[in-house]
Amino acid sequence: MKTYYKILVFVILSGVCIAGFMVPIDFIPGLGERARNLFFHVPMSWVAAVAFLMSMVFSIRYLMTKNMDFDIKAHCAAEIGLLFCVLGYVTGTIWARVDWGTFLKIDEPRMMSILLLMLIYAAYLILRSSIDEEEKKARLSAVYLIIAFLTVPFFIFIMPRVFPGLHPGSADDAQSPGGGPVVKNEMNSTMRIVFYTASIGFVMLFVWIYNIRVRIEKLTIKKLRRIAI
Amino acid sequence: MDSIVKFLLDNSRVLVMLVVLIIWIGIFGYLWKLDKKVQKLEEPD
Repeated sequence: MKTYYKILVFVILSGVCIAGFMVPIDFIPGLGERARNLFFHVPMSWVAAVAFLMSMVFSIRYLMTKNMDFDIKAHCAAEIGLLFCVLGYVTGTIWARVDWGTFLKIDEPRMMSILLLMLIYAAYLILRSSIDEEEKKARLSAVYLIIAFLTVPFFIFIMPRVFPGLHPGSADDAQSPGGGPVVKNEMNSTMRIVFYTASIGFVMLFVWIYNIRVRIEKLTIKKLRRIAI
Repeated sequence: MDSIVKFLLDNSRVLVMLVVLIIWIGIFGYLWKLDKKVQKLEEPD
């Protein structure tokens, strides 16, 4: 990873930290100052979706080529995707406690869909760790990750918009029928700039963490092979 | 110093922003160090 890339990540996310708290925002009904959470909470789910997509792409490439590098890449993407998924969920539950009065709302489709995604990818990690044989592990992981990703568009993009819920953009969103500020991009231009910059910045941060994780995994495998010899 | 504390008391958003910024700088520093460490390990013996 180039030095200028790391510095760019630092500058972008530092800017987001400052702008996220300081820029004047339009008050979204019912949210007030808490709308600033959008700059940090929503990008977590975006990053998770990008990571899960990457894990599926590398899984397909593994099945096509049987190259173990792709298996490592797919695994690392899924692992870090799960981390961001948990971060998105935790930041969401804290916000929910303040706005809706509870940490967990079982009839909230977006909250439940992220929770289900977390369970699906946590199950993947358990499945992977339970297999010893390298090739079998890689093959099963690849198939699992491809099938797991099929649920991502449904859980992140479709379900929360089809069923009634408390998130902006739900089917019964009375304040903005047909989609709330997140779905219809009704944030003002300043908010939109900070929001998209944050999303890009967090994706770049993910790529950096992912790069380090892949390199560590490769080093670990190399060391294990050396010990085996 | 007192004037800074007074400013931060009056502008609590700035105080929270500073806390977040310090956390971010810490995470960034750790990642940077980790990257360098991995780079060193990758070098051929």
